[in-house]
Amino acid sequence: MNDAAETIISVRNLKVGYGDTVILQNINFQVECGEVFVILGGSGSGKSTLLKNLIGLYTPLEGEVWIEGTNLVAATGDERRNLLGKFGVAYQSGALFGSMTVLENVRLPLDELTTLPAPLKELTALAKLKLVGLASSVQKMPAELSGGMQKRAAIARAMALDPRILFLDEPSAGLDPVTSADLDLLITELAHHFGITFVIVTHELASIYKIADRVIMLDNQTRTIVAEGRPADLKESSNPWVHRFFNREPDAVASGLHL
Amino acid sequence: MNSTTSQSELETDLQFGAAGSARLVLRGRLNAQTATVCWDELEPRLRGVKLQKFEVDADGLEFCDGGGLALLRYLSMGLMTPEAAVSVHGLSTDLEQLFHGFTLADYKALHPSSAVKCHPLPEEVGSGVRQAASDVREQVEFLGNVTRNLVPTVINRKRMRWKEVGRVFEAAGANAVPIVSLVSILVGLIIAFESTQTLAKFGAQIYVVNMIGIIMVRELGPLLAAVLLAGRSGSAFAAELGTMKVNEELDALKTLGLDPIRFLVVQRIIAAMFLTPLLALYATFLGVTGGALVAFGLGFPWSLIFHQLTASLRMSDIVFGLSKGVAFGAIVSAVGCLRGLQTQEGPSAVGVSTTRAVVTSIVLIVIADAVFSVLFYVLKL
Repeated sequence: MNDAAETIISVRNLKVGYGDTVILQNINFQVECGEVFVILGGSGSGKSTLLKNLIGLYTPLEGEVWIEGTNLVAATGDERRNLLGKFGVAYQSGALFGSMTVLENVRLPLDELTTLPAPLKELTALAKLKLVGLASSVQKMPAELSGGMQKRAAIARAMALDPRILFLDEPSAGLDPVTSADLDLLITELAHHFGITFVIVTHELASIYKIADRVIMLDNQTRTIVAEGRPADLKESSNPWVHRFFNREPDAVASGLHL
Repeated sequence: MNSTTSQSELETDLQFGAAGSARLVLRGRLNAQTATVCWDELEPRLRGVKLQKFEVDADGLEFCDGGGLALLRYLSMGLMTPEAAVSVHGLSTDLEQLFHGFTLADYKALHPSSAVKCHPLPEEVGSGVRQAASDVREQVEFLGNVTRNLVPTVINRKRMRWKEVGRVFEAAGANAVPIVSLVSILVGLIIAFESTQTLAKFGAQIYVVNMIGIIMVRELGPLLAAVLLAGRSGSAFAAELGTMKVNEELDALKTLGLDPIRFLVVQRIIAAMFLTPLLALYATFLGVTGGALVAFGLGFPWSLIFHQLTASLRMSDIVFGLSKGVAFGAIVSAVGCLRGLQTQEGPSAVGVSTTRAVVTSIVLIVIADAVFSVLFYVLKL
């Protein structure tokens, strides 16, 4: 379904931070329609902050985020609301509403933002839940689900309005290898069958090789993108930090052990 | 009986044929908006009509999203036309595959049953009583645990963590001064102001000073301080300890061999037992000042007001008020800590603990107040 390279997200000269603290600067990248794009970086490199700027939760210090031809940073009112409806976000912890069942969680965006008749809303929500493999848990409360199931439910909720883009924050963090692999499979299937564009923040090497079409790598020191490309290319990168990251080599200087 | 409706994006054409058959042709874009319009149009015409055969021709669909698919599924599952044999054809291969990913069997299996679980009355009563009993049991256990730990902890300088006591003293005591000032001076003013009008009928306006003195010193000063403490700090204790429990910090303390009661609770109770009488004294002073201001406003000189006050109050009244303050402080802090330690799992657990802390504190304060009144009456203080 990957049509000839249509740019769906374009980030231009982005500078993010809080107040006077600059966390990332000179961030430039483009995401093509239908690809799985991974934002990679060590702990504390600003991955999650960058994501929050991309989805409009934080306002960047400088720069533009163009999503489907509209600059999210400058958009206000109806234009912004319209744009927010074009993508779904699944948060790191799932962020399911604890007082609602899984089905109600997925139905919520449909209830609030569409005029569909009630039976169709329920049918849509059930179909999304079946798609992510949660068919047997629709009536459960989020607290009764395992970590992997919560993330699936969060993906189902993010997909409720059929967005063209899905942002996922650390989808495989804290999951066992099997559950994590299941989730990777779900992501690749959704990307290939439905043409959904994924922007994923992670530091799980194993899943990057499986799911990522393209990767950008953030660096703690220079506070910008140090490498961009296919995962296989980055493994051979000459940048020492990228090389260490992709080959799981310890940082001799940072380690306190001098044995 | 034909009709063709053309919307901006979706064209719907429903035709009824002979012998209870019908045919629906859809052309264009079927998304959440157009599916809604289409539903509104089809439902009144199809529901309740006896159909044998219903065909949906989706050959002309250019686009179909989740909402549109839901409409096609709803029709094909025969939910709108229960007796008809429904067929949907003409879907593109991609859509066809998606369409068959969710079938009537899935719908029947997943459709949530509306039956609400209902417990019989005796079961409800039983579990309620059991819960109340276990709550009392936990309170008594907690009280014993605190009492057992209080003296050994206070004596042992290393264990006591006086720094923490100081921090609580500042947060719960010093930082509460502005709100206590405002509330008590206003309460003093209001009570004095309201009662002068009645006292004036008897020509006894000057006694408003005696009254406000006794009320504030014996009752309202400690009570106001305690209620404000419950609202500001009892709730904070419950939230602090509850969050620590949710974050497994309490478990971490236990595995380090530290008892949360000795490490966290004793400090808060000690701090509250010292600071509440001080706050009560301060509230009393400001409340009496409020009352005196009203009396001054009525034209009585300061010397007379002061004389009335000293004549009506005994030292034992002040001791009575202060001892109440100590007890209220212990109640509020202990209840706050207990509710914090009892926090359950789940997103709303800390909120529930905080509410329970404030409610239980206020109830126990009022009960304790009544007990004090009886006690002091019997002791003739």
